[in-house]
Amino acid sequence: MTTKSAGVINLYAAKKESVFEIASLPGIGLLENLGLRVGTKVIVKGRYAFGGPVLLKVENAFMVAVGKDIATQIAVKEVACYESPQCPIK
Amino acid sequence: MSHHNAQLNDKILNAPNKILLMGNPNVGKSIFFTELTGIHAMSSNYAGSTVSFAQGKISLNGEEYTLIDVPGTYSLSEPTSEAEEIAVRFAKSGAAAIICVLDASNLERNLHLAMDLRKYKTPLIYVLNLMDVAERKGIVVNSKILEKELGAPVIEAVATKKQGLDCIKGHLENIVKNQTGCPANHCDKCYKCHVNQMDEYGDTWRASKEICRKTCFKVDAKPSFLDKLGDAMVKPWPGVLLALLVMAAAIGVIVFGGRGVRFPLLMLVNDVIAPFFRDFFTSFVPEGMFLNILVGEFGIFVIAFEWILALIFPYVLMFYVAFTFLEDTGFLPRMGVLFDNVMRKMGMQGGSLIHMMMGYGCAVPAIIGTRSATTRKERLVISAAICFAIPCISQLGALMSLTAGYSWWMMPALLLFSLVLFIVVAMIASKFIKGKVDPLLIEVPNVLIPSPRAYGRKLLSRMRHFLKDAQGPMMIAILFAALLAESGILAVIADAAQPIVSGWLGLPAEAVTALILGIVRREMSVAPLLALDLTSLQAFVGGAVALMYIPCLSAFAILAKEFKAKTAIIITLSTVAVAIFIGGVINHLGRLLGA
Repeated sequence: MTTKSAGVINLYAAKKESVFEIASLPGIGLLENLGLRVGTKVIVKGRYAFGGPVLLKVENAFMVAVGKDIATQIAVKEVACYESPQCPIK
Repeated sequence: MSHHNAQLNDKILNAPNKILLMGNPNVGKSIFFTELTGIHAMSSNYAGSTVSFAQGKISLNGEEYTLIDVPGTYSLSEPTSEAEEIAVRFAKSGAAAIICVLDASNLERNLHLAMDLRKYKTPLIYVLNLMDVAERKGIVVNSKILEKELGAPVIEAVATKKQGLDCIKGHLENIVKNQTGCPANHCDKCYKCHVNQMDEYGDTWRASKEICRKTCFKVDAKPSFLDKLGDAMVKPWPGVLLALLVMAAAIGVIVFGGRGVRFPLLMLVNDVIAPFFRDFFTSFVPEGMFLNILVGEFGIFVIAFEWILALIFPYVLMFYVAFTFLEDTGFLPRMGVLFDNVMRKMGMQGGSLIHMMMGYGCAVPAIIGTRSATTRKERLVISAAICFAIPCISQLGALMSLTAGYSWWMMPALLLFSLVLFIVVAMIASKFIKGKVDPLLIEVPNVLIPSPRAYGRKLLSRMRHFLKDAQGPMMIAILFAALLAESGILAVIADAAQPIVSGWLGLPAEAVTALILGIVRREMSVAPLLALDLTSLQAFVGGAVALMYIPCLSAFAILAKEFKAKTAIIITLSTVAVAIFIGGVINHLGRLLGA
């Protein structure tokens, strides 16, 4: 797995359709229960205007919408391997 | 049925012979429950449609067991809502067996709970549901390997198509048969010994990933039409447009469908039911006041059927025809995501939109449904806003009948009014109620085509409930009103209420009947107005007052149960005060403007 660290940003600012790995996240029980933990890979599928949520595809399996106020507290770093056939979540 | 929404008490928790149906939210537990017990449990396509629990009987080897449909939970170590707390208490209570339902299309996360459940040392059966959705998404799960990894039976199933049911029952019978004792204290075959040998996994997340790697394979599958539709429905574009179109279509179904159904039902009431009772009672009741109360122009056996069956039932039916379809497709949580930004500005969050929609059907399930909310404040804000501003479909049906005789804009105006009121109440409530509303955090389910079987059963159950809940109270209320009128008490009350009803609200004095009956059910705060020959302004004021007025006895009871009696009283009294105040303001403004 070739992961090229491209600096840590907050999830709300993350680019659409790219793969990110969660670096840190606030201690919200439901986040962890939904499977969002440090190291979880997510793709941003959409972002809603006027303070709306971020729509995520988690581990290439299911979709979760995360409200803006939580998304800004989640730190992610880009994983640059999505294009490669060895991508772990493809 | 009284099995629904039972209160959690020690009697149920300590009951012997319990079998628990558990799993992540929205994996199909309630459908298995219905199929296994024959009792209908409400299921829908979004997380949290079972926020309480249902119980029913299941017979295994000729012995009776209680099957419990436990609310869905993502994790047992950290409950995040009241619904999840109930699940944890059940898991700890010691059951004969646990059926853990897994979503085959989303196995990794489901396995987390699957392994968490092992720590309760209860015999487990795993049901791999939604195999059809997994197939659609190109996911292949090897259930044989999974069985080895989990050390318990794994049954492939499609709940909506009744696949796998016999197998579940067979395994259950096996488990309970072997539970009483093991001849050898340590064997490989019996469940009792097996359970004792179960070891807990340390990090269940890591373990789930590992198991999933061994058992799930992804084959290339073109995204199906449904998956593409599901994605389109949740993207801002064209999602918002699609949502508005769907809403418009739903309103069309309710309004025009309702009118269509209403016509034959009105004929049924006027030509069959009413004459039947008229002939029946005139045959032995002498003419006079008593006969009048029974079958006169406004007699119990005439008007109660006309109001409930012909005026209100058609709209209730068409509402649930549309709503039941929508909630099974996965449309509602997508709405929540799309409009979270708007809801957030009003101090709420998108997830509450689901409860608001339910409120248009009936406030009671909507208020119970708020249990899936993560904070008490969110529950209170949305419950208060529903009580104040969301007319239930019974009342909407009555309002449509009331406004039918006036200009076309009256109904849309009333709905707009209720929407504005909803926003204002929510904003005020979220300002004054202490605590916070958590931001949106919601799973967006796969889009599904509702199974005709499950859909029909759910619709039928809802209609039965409505007719049972509405017809009796309506007849009693009309009897009560008739007695009030005939005994002269009504005249006294009307006289006393004259300054408010006629002076401030500008309605005829008889409209006080609506305010009295409206305490019991919402449509009855409208129905008595139908007979009063009101002007446009009076009809609008009457409709608006009814809309805000007391949230019906059942809603009051559920508020008191879910929160505190004090909360229920405060909400109810404020609705009365606000209804009368705003109703009067509309009346006076209308008069000033010369309406």
